[in-house]
Amino acid sequence: MASQLFPQALHMIPINQVKSFNPVKNLGFSAFLSRGPSPLTASKVSVSGTHLKFHFGSDLGCFARRDFIVRAESNPEAEANENGVEEPETKAEAEVEAGEGGEDEVEEEKPKEPYKPRVKLGDIMGILNKRAIEASDKERPTPDLRAGDIVEIKLEVPENKRRLSVYKGIVISKQNAGIHTTIRIRRIIAGIGVEIVFPVYSPNIKEIKVVKHRKVRRARLYYLRDKLPRLSTFK
Amino acid sequence: MIQPQTHLNVADNSGARELMCIRVIGASNHRYAHIGDVIVAVIKEAVPNTPLERSEVIRAVIVRTSKELKRDNSMIMRYDDNAAVVIDQEGNPKGTRIFGVIARELRQLNFTKIVSLSA
Repeated sequence: MASQLFPQALHMIPINQVKSFNPVKNLGFSAFLSRGPSPLTASKVSVSGTHLKFHFGSDLGCFARRDFIVRAESNPEAEANENGVEEPETKAEAEVEAGEGGEDEVEEEKPKEPYKPRVKLGDIMGILNKRAIEASDKERPTPDLRAGDIVEIKLEVPENKRRLSVYKGIVISKQNAGIHTTIRIRRIIAGIGVEIVFPVYSPNIKEIKVVKHRKVRRARLYYLRDKLPRLSTFK
Repeated sequence: MIQPQTHLNVADNSGARELMCIRVIGASNHRYAHIGDVIVAVIKEAVPNTPLERSEVIRAVIVRTSKELKRDNSMIMRYDDNAAVVIDQEGNPKGTRIFGVIARELRQLNFTKIVSLSA
């Protein structure tokens, strides 16, 4: 059975090899020649015929290749004709086998379990960050922040336990880094521009509120540093 | 990151307008001064008719830097300019008013008078 299957496979191999190897090199053909088993003596002769043709040049080489391919396909048919009655049955079986060759797993006849995605090493940090963010969101929900939002942040400071410090300003950048996602707030305080970076999911931050939104066409608004203080002033 | 030859604004009404750092007080190879460090500076520009005059060598404490200041709670602060407050040998400010915003770190470094004068 297998020998019926293999001749087909072996005939297939040289076609692939011919495409990949340089026709000038004779290595591919010699390899094929070494692989041919004894029943395929007829095919061997045909190959050597084409092998001789190859020496004449590359033009003939491509013809020889095509010829070679045709010969390879015709060989099983020739064998089938030679052997007679046995062949159609075995060939049919071989074809059926070839058809089912790729589905060996189905022959087990077990219902396949649903594919469980494996947790790979590269996913671990992402999963940990997601869990940490979910834990932080449970205590205090964080709104969706973007550059251009005018935001008010209430911060708990250890020195000032009675009152929460309030920071207001425009978000000029947001750096996404999982649990250490930070936003940069800019504001003019007492005539001096001040930029403060806050980690969004910090437990010290008691509230983040988006007060307004300014239409901006950038993700990072560093140009505000060079602009008039009026654009960074928020009452 | 204030180093010698850096020009600084003055954040009080002592009479100086602009200072140039000539030395960072600390170890012999203390390269840069940050918020809370004392520097030796020369007055490059002064308000007329005040006790301080141009090209006088005085001491000052840094109160604002363009270089970020990091806090333990992961907050990072950055000001738009570099500024200092003129002080005397003990650390008391020579002026009577402080302009602009002051970082909270100065309180821990025993510049309480400066912190109380600021808003």
